[in-house]
Amino acid sequence: MKAGYWGVLWREFSKNRLALAGLVIVISLILLALCAPLIANNKPYIYITEGKVYLPLFYDIITNGKEYAELKGTDLSKEKFTGFKLFPPVAYSYSEYDLDSIVVPPSRKHLMGTDEQGRDLLARMIYGSRVSIFIGFIAVIIYVAIGIIIGSIAGYYGGWIDMVISRIIEVIMCFPTFFLILTILALWGPSLASVMLVIGITSWPGIARIVRGEFLKLREMDFVVASQAVGAADRWIIFRHILPNALAPVLVSATFGIASTILIESSLSFLGFGVQPPTPSWGDILSQSRDFMDFAWWLTFIPGFAIFITITAYNLVGDALQDAMNPKSLSGK
Amino acid sequence: MKKYIVKRTLLIFLTLFLITLLSYTIIRIAPGDYTTLKLGMEGALKAGSISQEILEQEKKLYGLDKPVIVGYAEWLAKFVRLDFGISRKDGRPVLTRIGEALPITLILNVISMIIIYIISIPMGIVSAVKKDKAFDRVSSLILFLLYSLPHFWIGLILLLYMASGEYLNLFPLGGIRSDWAAGAGFIPRLIDFCWHLVLPVITLTYGEFAFLARYTRANMLEVISQQYIMTARAKGLSNKRVIFIHAFRNSLIPLVTLMATLLPGLLGGTVIVESIFSIPGMGLLAYEAILSRDIPVIMAITTIAAILTLAGILAADLLYSLVDPRIRLEAKI
Repeated sequence: MKAGYWGVLWREFSKNRLALAGLVIVISLILLALCAPLIANNKPYIYITEGKVYLPLFYDIITNGKEYAELKGTDLSKEKFTGFKLFPPVAYSYSEYDLDSIVVPPSRKHLMGTDEQGRDLLARMIYGSRVSIFIGFIAVIIYVAIGIIIGSIAGYYGGWIDMVISRIIEVIMCFPTFFLILTILALWGPSLASVMLVIGITSWPGIARIVRGEFLKLREMDFVVASQAVGAADRWIIFRHILPNALAPVLVSATFGIASTILIESSLSFLGFGVQPPTPSWGDILSQSRDFMDFAWWLTFIPGFAIFITITAYNLVGDALQDAMNPKSLSGK
Repeated sequence: MKKYIVKRTLLIFLTLFLITLLSYTIIRIAPGDYTTLKLGMEGALKAGSISQEILEQEKKLYGLDKPVIVGYAEWLAKFVRLDFGISRKDGRPVLTRIGEALPITLILNVISMIIIYIISIPMGIVSAVKKDKAFDRVSSLILFLLYSLPHFWIGLILLLYMASGEYLNLFPLGGIRSDWAAGAGFIPRLIDFCWHLVLPVITLTYGEFAFLARYTRANMLEVISQQYIMTARAKGLSNKRVIFIHAFRNSLIPLVTLMATLLPGLLGGTVIVESIFSIPGMGLLAYEAILSRDIPVIMAITTIAAILTLAGILAADLLYSLVDPRIRLEAKI
């Protein structure tokens, strides 16, 4: 059987067990982030009382925050509401506070304990994954897109266009990026969108360089010269012929990019410039834990460990992709 | 060579010009000008406690009454005379504040850089020579995990377990000087200073040395696979000689350029490390300046960080041609 380029890549990739584990973690985290409201919620999936069937959680999601008129304002987790109740695995929402159980260590009731406002840490961690994953993906998509466009223009046309673009890339690479991001966020006000945009706009030079290099190599190849000879439009050659062959190293860089974006986002949140409360993010939870860290170890350890595992998973995948792409490792085995 | 240096210097000035212009513009076009923050203008103006006149004076002092381009030109004219203006926070000249902070950060970074190179190069070489043996596998995995550990998390944990007194009380909680050291002699002061730097240096180095060791290993493997190494072995040279005389020297080349890329990363990393350990260096100064919108300080730090980065890149390029005579700098530009 003849495997295509991506088929060979996958075969090489899947030989690396650690990387497969990383991939599993990456995919589970994405699912966790997507399904967060279904996993951590203080509304039951189903509530049956006096012969009536309610689906509070789904009703809430479908109607975007509305409640059943007859259940309005009732806290179904209280025992006085009798009947059959089926709660999600984590029966708390990320903002639901309980001042009677402040900074409680992990227990059966709160698997990861609670924070200084009595909010369930597990629920907050699950929702916090949304911020990390979302910012990671969107910011990387933004800068990969910018990088591909600019890099392919520079690499394909060469000459003075390449000169100008390369100088611009050099200038941006000398920019104290983290500091620039901090400044912009401090002046414009931090929000999910501004964090994503700023990371996206400042991080493209790396990708542009890679794409430019690949294009410089590929544009001299026979298949490109051939399609130029038959009069194909530049756009067609760039996007249909050259780009698909230049994508593999971009994929590696993007995978590492997600890891470092998650790290940057959590650092920003840690410094107080990230997503603003009440939206939980891992960096923010960790930052809040500073005041309690001498007795509430879980508030420091759990979010830090989550960030660590996530970054490790992406780096493992990126590393294995890089190995799989290296022709030397192919011929060697 | 002379021509190359002239060209590079011109390019450095151009880059510096663009970076400062961009920073200035970003700061100026940010919503809400920064005089309002200092005097609480919005509120104070309405209450009538501060006259419009003072507001205008304040704006004039920071060049905010002029268009962005004119304001930038004035900033540039002052910068050429090394006048960065007056810090809004305490009214002292910005240059004095930077003069206090920069040496601390430089010492921190130089020590970290030396430690990074001392640990990672031998480790990388041994890993490469013993490829796929136990040492290589274990150290590769450990380095990989270290590389993914977030700085701010490790900083907090070190602080909690090594310095807080709750567990171990081995190191000071922060700062760079103990109270008792003020009147002490040089040697005790130096020891005290180093004692304060242990935890910050650990936090700053582990990630980078993990990166560098992996990089050294990859380079060494690349060199070992070259044909001249095979030739050297075929001649019957001892393994030691092949590794240290033939391979090691050539694997050093990329490490030199890497210094340039590590430097801005270290400077960025100091924002977090210095704010965790309350070290009064550039990172903490930057963080505080951003929080209080101290624009003259922000501009000065951006400029100095950019100068350091550019100088690092230039030095690396020059060193590169020094260690590898095959590289002709004139051809590079």
